[in-house]
Amino acid sequence: MNKISNLFTRHFRNIHFVSIILILAILFIAGKFVNPYLNQAVSAVFYSPFAKIKNNFLELKSVSEDNARLSQTLIDVSMKIAFYEEATLENDRLRSILGFDPPANYTLIPAKVISISGEFTPITATINKGTNDSIWIDQPVINQEGLIGRVSSVSPDFSIIQLLTDPSNRVAARVVSSREMGIIKYNTNTGMYLDNFPIQGDIAVNDLIISSGLGGVYPAGLTVGTVSEVIKEELEPFYKVKVTPASNFYSLEELFILRETAEE
Amino acid sequence: MTKLIPYLLYFWLIAMHQVFLADVTSIFGAKINLSVLIVLLVSMYKTETTSVWVGLCVGIIGFAGITNISAWYALEMALIGLSAFHIKEKMNLDSLFARVALILGGTFIHNIIVLLIEINDGLLISIVRYALTGAIYTTIVGTIFFLIKDGIFTLKKTKSIF
Repeated sequence: MNKISNLFTRHFRNIHFVSIILILAILFIAGKFVNPYLNQAVSAVFYSPFAKIKNNFLELKSVSEDNARLSQTLIDVSMKIAFYEEATLENDRLRSILGFDPPANYTLIPAKVISISGEFTPITATINKGTNDSIWIDQPVINQEGLIGRVSSVSPDFSIIQLLTDPSNRVAARVVSSREMGIIKYNTNTGMYLDNFPIQGDIAVNDLIISSGLGGVYPAGLTVGTVSEVIKEELEPFYKVKVTPASNFYSLEELFILRETAEE
Repeated sequence: MTKLIPYLLYFWLIAMHQVFLADVTSIFGAKINLSVLIVLLVSMYKTETTSVWVGLCVGIIGFAGITNISAWYALEMALIGLSAFHIKEKMNLDSLFARVALILGGTFIHNIIVLLIEINDGLLISIVRYALTGAIYTTIVGTIFFLIKDGIFTLKKTKSIF
């Protein structure tokens, strides 16, 4: 045993080199048979763990890229949906306008609202039609819901509408059911109201208020609003009549200017 | 058996480098040749038989994918380990320059041999484009390793610069 140990120690270097040469010889001679198994083993032990990590990382990167791309697509689609929703609403509005007839002796000039001014409530609206489209001062302005106001100033391509919500605006009005008259005014604090309506008059909540045609600006029969509250105060000769406007002055989009047929 | 653990770690490092570090650390196509760097470093600090064994194993592991010529790579790496060991015996290993020259020479020769095996056309251009640039890049990494090993390049000194 000692002899073998001594022999191994003495020929340590040679034994190693012979082993290495043997391995190389096997690789060269029987490479076709050995190499596939050797490579499989080497790949499984040394490469597979890192290859898996790399694949997971690449997948994660791919998912991240997909996420960014899909987020962008989502934004684009959201914008398109918003556009289509807006188009649908506009379509609905325009459909409702289609069946809308102007008062007798008047034609409708359609216009789009460009801007609305007013600090607390809308007071004026700017539209995209002017003298080039035969728009003149004091022409009444309506939409499919009712009376909006009148043209207060004009330029060739734009006009400014004084809305009913302007406290300085006045409309001679009448209650449809009783035919009795008053003056529609607007107060920033209390809202629209029917002024000068005598306590002897017949009025109730939900009565329809229309323009009376007096005053020469607004033709008769245009819807102004409905009575929301009737308050009778002692020793006062007039009712306090609160009116809910027919139109929503905060969301004006399409308007019609009434042009008398004689003006053409 | 525990003596084998560092070498297994070297082999895993080589595999990891080949799987993803090589591409990440590549600069204008020049790659660190970690396989040959490890064989040369082992040759510098270990025995002759260890150098040859490590060279053989690195040849088998590092070129596992190339089944038809992997035996040639194993032989080449074993010879590089053996040659590097005998060259270093005649060198003054205290000199940083000598060690760096051995790394540069060893890597460059290995790269040329690999190109001779793999490339038929445009060998001269490939030598400049890949062999030389790869050898220089590997030498830079080797130099940083020597500087850290010799205590010339330390964390404390790096901090003192800033």
